[in-house]
Amino acid sequence: MAYMLNPGAQSEPNIEVHKFYGGTVLFATFLALVLQAFLHKFGRWAELLDLPLLVTVYFGVSRRNPTTGLFLGGAIGILQDALSHDNPIGLYGIAKTCVGYLASSIGARIDTEHPIARFGLVFFFFHFHQAILAITQRVLLNRPAPFFTLHLFLDSLATAAVAVVIFALLDRLRKPS
Amino acid sequence: MPDIVSRHRPLALLAGAIVFQVLLLAFQIKREHDVPLVRSWANELFTPLERAGTWSFSKVGGVWHSYIALRDTRAENLRLQSEVEKLRIRNRELEGQAAEAQRLASLLSFRESHPEAPMLAAQVIGASADPNSHTLFINRGEKDHVRRNFAVITPDGVVGKIVEVFASTSQVLLINDKESGVGALLADTRTHGVVKGNGDSEPHMDYVGNDEKIQLGATVLTSGEDRIFPKDLPIGTIEAAAPGNPFQSIRVQPAAHLDRLEEVLVLLPPPELAPKKSESSASASAAQSGSSSAKTALPAPGNAAAQKSLKPATHPIAKPPAAKPADTDTPAAQPAPPAPPQ
Repeated sequence: MAYMLNPGAQSEPNIEVHKFYGGTVLFATFLALVLQAFLHKFGRWAELLDLPLLVTVYFGVSRRNPTTGLFLGGAIGILQDALSHDNPIGLYGIAKTCVGYLASSIGARIDTEHPIARFGLVFFFFHFHQAILAITQRVLLNRPAPFFTLHLFLDSLATAAVAVVIFALLDRLRKPS
Repeated sequence: MPDIVSRHRPLALLAGAIVFQVLLLAFQIKREHDVPLVRSWANELFTPLERAGTWSFSKVGGVWHSYIALRDTRAENLRLQSEVEKLRIRNRELEGQAAEAQRLASLLSFRESHPEAPMLAAQVIGASADPNSHTLFINRGEKDHVRRNFAVITPDGVVGKIVEVFASTSQVLLINDKESGVGALLADTRTHGVVKGNGDSEPHMDYVGNDEKIQLGATVLTSGEDRIFPKDLPIGTIEAAAPGNPFQSIRVQPAAHLDRLEEVLVLLPPPELAPKKSESSASASAAQSGSSSAKTALPAPGNAAAQKSLKPATHPIAKPPAAKPADTDTPAAQPAPPAPPQ
């Protein structure tokens, strides 16, 4: 846990920090938000996926810098709030800020290149993200929000499975080391 | 402090980002009564401080006001107590004056409602020293043209009659005195009788036969037969009735508050009787030589001629009599009661 709180001080020098082509992060973020908004039109299955969460996790673990990770997560979350109908600005922002920070911290410590590791990582971050959302909604908005349900569990499995594919596609946008 | 922040820079940034977004949420979220959450938080944050400050100031102020600033309190307390006493006395005076004004207003209203009836307002200035005698003294006497046997009333009802006249005062015999008697009749059945005092606070109505049905609460009016009280003035109401021998025993609750009279009205003779004054007064003076009543316009009760001359006896203040039932008006159905004692 200590390395999560202070990753900069204890980062492993042998873990590779991936670089991306210019505009990749912005483009991927924009595309994730647009698709997230756009895919809702095509049915209930689209709600299973949280593409902005996948982008946050992917770039967090790839860049391995908690500062950029939390700002990227915060920005994606605030944009997601802004695009939603009735969410107050900051609801997803807080959750994704925490996800971005934690993903960068974990990415700096462990290998996140293996598909199984990625599946587990996204599965974990899905529920972490949901937990932060539920806490925020319960404490600040006085809304009943679940921490865990079977539906969320299935969502998390689907999102993690899709994440393995999307992460592999995003790997192609990395600069060669 | 800056070292700690720089060493934990990402963590500090995370905290800052979360706090910023929480504040952002707090500005948007509305709680009860449409109050933004941030305002609610600000209140919750500052209210305890304000409360603590107020409490501290009140304690300090309490110490000041309760101990230090009380040097002159004793003198002030004495002065205020004295002032309270004065105000209490003044208050009692004003209450008395207000009550008197109300009573006088009532008398005035009664007088104004009967402008054709000559009457004289008088103040009760004393009562009889004998507990068995129900008499009063009023502040009107001979110089106010008050004479014996003048009726004394209040707006509530009959009080009594003048029995003694002095220069500036007169004595009034109340209707509950055992020497008193008033010609009376029941308002509903027109049954005649005599209301007599027996020394109690409540007079009795005599000479009502046992076959007469008496209703409790029925109004008793003057009949005018005594030549003193005009007809149809309220005397009181029937409080109790029981068969007796030979007449019923009927207790009457006086309409006037005889035990707390302060102002009364003395009924003066009607102006139209003035031409007969000399004649009747001559007869009266013959009957009661030396009495001040000789100067009055009213005849002695036993003087039949004078009584005849006064037979109209309907004083201007008397109400028009109610419709008499046919059976009670005939001598056969209602034997005439004996003349009331005067």
